[in-house]
Amino acid sequence: MRLGLDEVGVTELMAVTEHARAMSTTAAGLLLERLDDDAGLVTPVAGDSENEEVGALLAEIRAAVPPALGRREVPALWRILARNPRSTWRKEQVVMREGALGARDKRRVALGVAMSVRARYMVEYHAAIVRVAGDTETDLLEILGVVDHYTTLNTLSEGMQIESDIVPPA
Amino acid sequence: MTTIRMVDPAQVTGKTRAVFEAVLRREEKVFGATAVSNIWRCQGHVADYVEANWERSRALMQRGRFTPLQRELIATAVSVANACTY
Repeated sequence: MRLGLDEVGVTELMAVTEHARAMSTTAAGLLLERLDDDAGLVTPVAGDSENEEVGALLAEIRAAVPPALGRREVPALWRILARNPRSTWRKEQVVMREGALGARDKRRVALGVAMSVRARYMVEYHAAIVRVAGDTETDLLEILGVVDHYTTLNTLSEGMQIESDIVPPA
Repeated sequence: MTTIRMVDPAQVTGKTRAVFEAVLRREEKVFGATAVSNIWRCQGHVADYVEANWERSRALMQRGRFTPLQRELIATAVSVANACTY
């Protein structure tokens, strides 16, 4: 890595990367393909869940997610995950918030990861958030361009078994 | 173990030489490299190919609205997601 980031920044970047990758797997595992999908492998919880903890979690998600996405409803992904304890939502909050890296940059990174693993649901999800934050179509193409070019370099590197010669600064 | 010989920058001519020189100038500036990196040397066996990839690299990685760091963040994340250690 040659980013000029300190260890906190690098840890945040890796956290966003693994979280975005894991969420892509989760959405695909739940058979959620489009952000508009209302059901997948598991039925989402209803808005008026009797379980107090689930109800409170859903309320918290409802307050945060639809405005960030520019949508009216909570996506099925979060309504399904709300069945579980707060673990995934809590992690999303911690990993994606403003830190050594900006929240918007983190979301662009997450979008790049979702594009890279071809997770349509999460591409739509992260793209909606960066668009609401002000990113344009040109910005989306710029993100995709980096994904595209690094897919090239990663393929060459693996295919030719290139040894790393990028020496970190002393 | 690499599956292909790394092209020696001292031995190249023409188009490949021009690309290698541009790559080295770029890599010196960005991360203090003193030699052309292997990811470019491995492509140098086919001049038109390394030139096409270099032109694309410049178009996609060096122009636009984002800062180099912003692009590098995404690049690193994609490489991790693709399990690429290079």
